[in-house]
Amino acid sequence: SAAAGLERPQLVTHVQQPLNYTLFDCKWVPRSARLLCLGSAARGTGVLQLYELRAGRLALLREIEKPKPIKCGTFGATSLQQRYLATGDFGGNLNIWNLEAPEIPVYSVKGHKEIINSIDGVGGLGIGEGAPEIVTGSRDGTVKVWDPRQKDTPVANMEPVQGESKRDCWAVAFGNAYNQEERVVCAGYDNGDIKLFDLKTMSLRWETSIKNGVCSVEFDRKDVNMNKLVATSLEGKFHVFDMRTQHPTKGFASVSEKVQKSTIWQVRHLPQNRDIFMTSGGAGSLHLWKYEYPAQRAKKDSEGAEMGVAGSVSLLQNVTLSTQPISSLDWSPDKKGLCVCGAFDQTVRVLIVTKLNKV
Amino acid sequence: MPVWLREHSWRQTGSAVYLSVPLRGVRVTPANIFCTDQYLKVSIPPFLFEAFLYAPIDDTNSTAKIGNGIIFFTLYKKEVAMWDSLTLENANKEKLQYLRQNAVLKAHEKAKVETEAKKVTKQEHRKYALDATMKLEEAERKRIEDLKEKERQKVTKELELWKKQQKDAEEQNRVQKEGELCQEVEQLEKKKEKIIKTRIPNEGTSKTRLQPTKGHGSYSMFSENLKEEQLPAPRSAATIKINFTPRVFPTPLRESRVAEEQEWLCKQAEARRTVSADMSELEDLKEEEKNPDWLKDKGNKMFAMGNYLAAVNAYNLALRLNNKLPLLYLNRAACHLKLRNFHKAIEDSSKALELLIPPVPDNESARVKAYVRRGTAFCQLELYTEGVQDYEAALRIDPKNKTIEKDAEKIRHLIQGTMQDS
Repeated sequence: SAAAGLERPQLVTHVQQPLNYTLFDCKWVPRSARLLCLGSAARGTGVLQLYELRAGRLALLREIEKPKPIKCGTFGATSLQQRYLATGDFGGNLNIWNLEAPEIPVYSVKGHKEIINSIDGVGGLGIGEGAPEIVTGSRDGTVKVWDPRQKDTPVANMEPVQGESKRDCWAVAFGNAYNQEERVVCAGYDNGDIKLFDLKTMSLRWETSIKNGVCSVEFDRKDVNMNKLVATSLEGKFHVFDMRTQHPTKGFASVSEKVQKSTIWQVRHLPQNRDIFMTSGGAGSLHLWKYEYPAQRAKKDSEGAEMGVAGSVSLLQNVTLSTQPISSLDWSPDKKGLCVCGAFDQTVRVLIVTKLNKV
Repeated sequence: MPVWLREHSWRQTGSAVYLSVPLRGVRVTPANIFCTDQYLKVSIPPFLFEAFLYAPIDDTNSTAKIGNGIIFFTLYKKEVAMWDSLTLENANKEKLQYLRQNAVLKAHEKAKVETEAKKVTKQEHRKYALDATMKLEEAERKRIEDLKEKERQKVTKELELWKKQQKDAEEQNRVQKEGELCQEVEQLEKKKEKIIKTRIPNEGTSKTRLQPTKGHGSYSMFSENLKEEQLPAPRSAATIKINFTPRVFPTPLRESRVAEEQEWLCKQAEARRTVSADMSELEDLKEEEKNPDWLKDKGNKMFAMGNYLAAVNAYNLALRLNNKLPLLYLNRAACHLKLRNFHKAIEDSSKALELLIPPVPDNESARVKAYVRRGTAFCQLELYTEGVQDYEAALRIDPKNKTIEKDAEKIRHLIQGTMQDS
């Protein structure tokens, strides 16, 4: 009934802003009501726009043009005072910008031979411990980890063996950063491979392959003992892995959902509740999910080895906002339920998700 | 022959006639009674009662009460008057018949009018119901919209409030830091002054004063330095070598395309394994000349040099060894085009297309070439309709190709031109 329906969280569009460029990524600026839009202008240059949410509309504060279109960005490795933005562009360049003085990057390296598809940062924003680091995944098949204090060379490089033909890396994410030493990087590729790299031991900790190219990966929290990992893919599927128990041969337990026919472009966990996450789709829709843990998260197999037990996922709400794919999504770390999404219809939308306290 | 019921009794007032017809032993239903404005009939086979009324009555408002073995009619006269008798006297058979038929016709018409009226009222009711439902739904929609709007406004207010709080907190922080900074600067200055005082006087007495700088940069520098001391050093660089799950196609993996891709791969593998049965003539060939791929390369080189006949020979030989490689037919078609053997070009392009099934992204460029070559051959033979069909097929696979688009346009104009002439 309609009454019961209104008890569920609602995805309400708060502000819609049309843009005159292709939007590839949007991010909230931490500790503020400001957001960044990153993309590609019609003439093939990169665009950065800084907006502020004011009384029900988005006010443009700054517009910055760069030589190459920008694909992705993160604030994950910066301090709360500096709030520098790290970006990956179509030319394979990693840049870190001070948005107050954006003419010259604070850090710059041509990290990859081809477009940087995905970027993540860890160790900044007063979250977690350890050195701030940035990871980039590129079409050239490599995943590289960078320390802003070290110029020109990455501190870790995950590349194909000599003679191996490369696959596009489409998604990267940091995780398990619960103390100064521990850290992992998860990478997803276009041939369905998911690989987990342990940066403390500099080794491949786990790999698996799903049946579709992997569009997005994210741990529910970067700075805790790795708990859950969500990977989304082409053909409308996503998988939730329970990362607490690794079986020697079977790896991590998982549960998967098929949402729709079209690609699931992004997954983002709610910063204030790690068991709630949102996926964005190629049909212009957003789906809000809740993960429920099973009664027992681990059990023993026939040989006595520990293996994980996956829980279940339930759909809380969904909404269709556009006919074009929603390719980027970001929750505000400061205001619960406030999120921004960017679609290929050249529109950025700020949404409010209500009743998240009641979930 | 019906059994006539003659027994009846009646009385009248100025405006009404009260008629009772006894019917013992038969069940009467309303369907048995037929009444128009001047004719009344009760028919319960085989019994029949009939009355041609003296004067017209209002048959709509008149009533018949069916009781135990008797029907009691209340007939309202159209004109207030006293009747001489209940029924018409002196009516001959024909008149009676006419009256009967007339009555039936009238009844039919009345029934028709009534059904029409009923239809109209039904429609009006339906419309009303629809309007009412729509209004209800509209109200419901509005209610939900209002709720959403309220939420939006609530959140906007909360956001503005939170922003204000943030600003205030930042201001407070800034002021506090500036205060701390000033204190630190003062302390440093005091220390400096002490040092300067204790130095040898001829070293110069330039006192450098540290200017307290405003803004975020200054205090963040201090706190950053502190934090940096607590951060671990950058990792020592290392490389992890990886392997990928093998995939032949350069395109991303999609579950729904896997079956098609497998089919194509199997076909390719099979084609490579096929070796011509008739090897007797080929025994005196050199080892490399027995390799279709080597021969294909040779053919390609000949083509590039303009020696089309030699290229055709090379492809012929290759095809004798393995007639399942689509690229051999495709390239031989190109040679035939150059040699103006258009029918052979069409044949070879068609054969290539046959072998390039199932259509996967891997063989896209080959299929485009095949369509374009066959299309060209058709046009050279002035078979423009067939030619443009092939160009359009090529465009469907590669919509961005401007050359193909232009050529297709040209052919379409040619077709229109010849049609106008003929």
